[in-house]
Amino acid sequence: MKEISDLNLPEDVKYTKDHEWAKLDSDIVTIGINDYAQDQLGEIVFVELPEVGDTFSEGDEFGSVESVKAVSEMYIPISGEITEINEALEDAPELVNESCYDSGWIIKVKPADVSELDNLMDKPAYLDMLKG
Amino acid sequence: MPERLNLSKRCAVFMDLGLLKYSTALDLQIQTLQSKINKSVKEDRIFFVEHPSVFTLGKRGGEENLVVSRDFLTAKNVDFVQTDRGGNITYHGPGQAVMYPIVDLEKNKIGVKDFVHGLEEIMKRTAMDYNIDADRNLKNHGIWVKNSKIGSVGISIKRGISFHGFAMNINPDLKPFSWINPCGLTDISMTSLEKEIRKSSTNNYDLSMERIKNTFIKYFSSIFSYSIIKTNAN
Repeated sequence: MKEISDLNLPEDVKYTKDHEWAKLDSDIVTIGINDYAQDQLGEIVFVELPEVGDTFSEGDEFGSVESVKAVSEMYIPISGEITEINEALEDAPELVNESCYDSGWIIKVKPADVSELDNLMDKPAYLDMLKG
Repeated sequence: MPERLNLSKRCAVFMDLGLLKYSTALDLQIQTLQSKINKSVKEDRIFFVEHPSVFTLGKRGGEENLVVSRDFLTAKNVDFVQTDRGGNITYHGPGQAVMYPIVDLEKNKIGVKDFVHGLEEIMKRTAMDYNIDADRNLKNHGIWVKNSKIGSVGISIKRGISFHGFAMNINPDLKPFSWINPCGLTDISMTSLEKEIRKSSTNNYDLSMERIKNTFIKYFSSIFSYSIIKTNAN
């Protein structure tokens, strides 16, 4: 298991307390699980995805990731409508382990209120939370 | 000095449910989980139980790994339950010690990996208490004695709180495992503490659930730094 100092935590995304990440590009937010979460879960064997067009409120469960050890739910950090899901994960869930911020992204959301992103943590705040 | 009470110490209430139907125990787990999510129950809870014979499926199924028909199971009076835990098909029955820790991993800062590793460690050390050399195996999670599986782990996490848990074969009838490919694996065999002890010794060992229960409590407490309060289910 990785030490906190070895975690890959990019500066240009925001973090949730449930170890998801979110990144705003023009008016769409991309969401995935972060390096800590994928490392903790171990080899991911299945990602349960929502449907395009589903709408969620901030904090709702939107899917789950299953590893050889555990099933863990994922919670959406921003209210809005799913515009895209990463269909590649259906055949290659291991992308979440290999590249959690890039080809292992999970959903894209059109936010109802982009200011909800302000509630998320930047890298230093997230690191503080991990260190407890 | 009255400075001895450490309020930050992890604390769990341990409850022995005795022999309880799988679905009833699952309802109790879900109820407890909900009470912890809505904060009406603060302390963590650990359930210890044996189930009457039942096959359970993981979140993504596993019925393809049932090698007998459903009618056969009905005739043998074995239940069949769909669950939302990780992993594939498995069997529970009398003589198997099952533990369900409903633990706030988020609040207690326990990582999923450490938690699963620790649950495996409880089974490993329990086996070692009986001089049985058990360990992890790259084939699959859980605890093994050489190429035979003695204990399985499968947990779920909701709002940072764990449910489901692990099951260790103490002295169950192992035959029903041959009606499935356990955990979706072919070509593996299952074993039990009793079976392994008999291979190496003619001595009588105390394999009572009471002793196993206390062993689980001892190791859960030391591995995860918990103080544990025992209560009886009513």
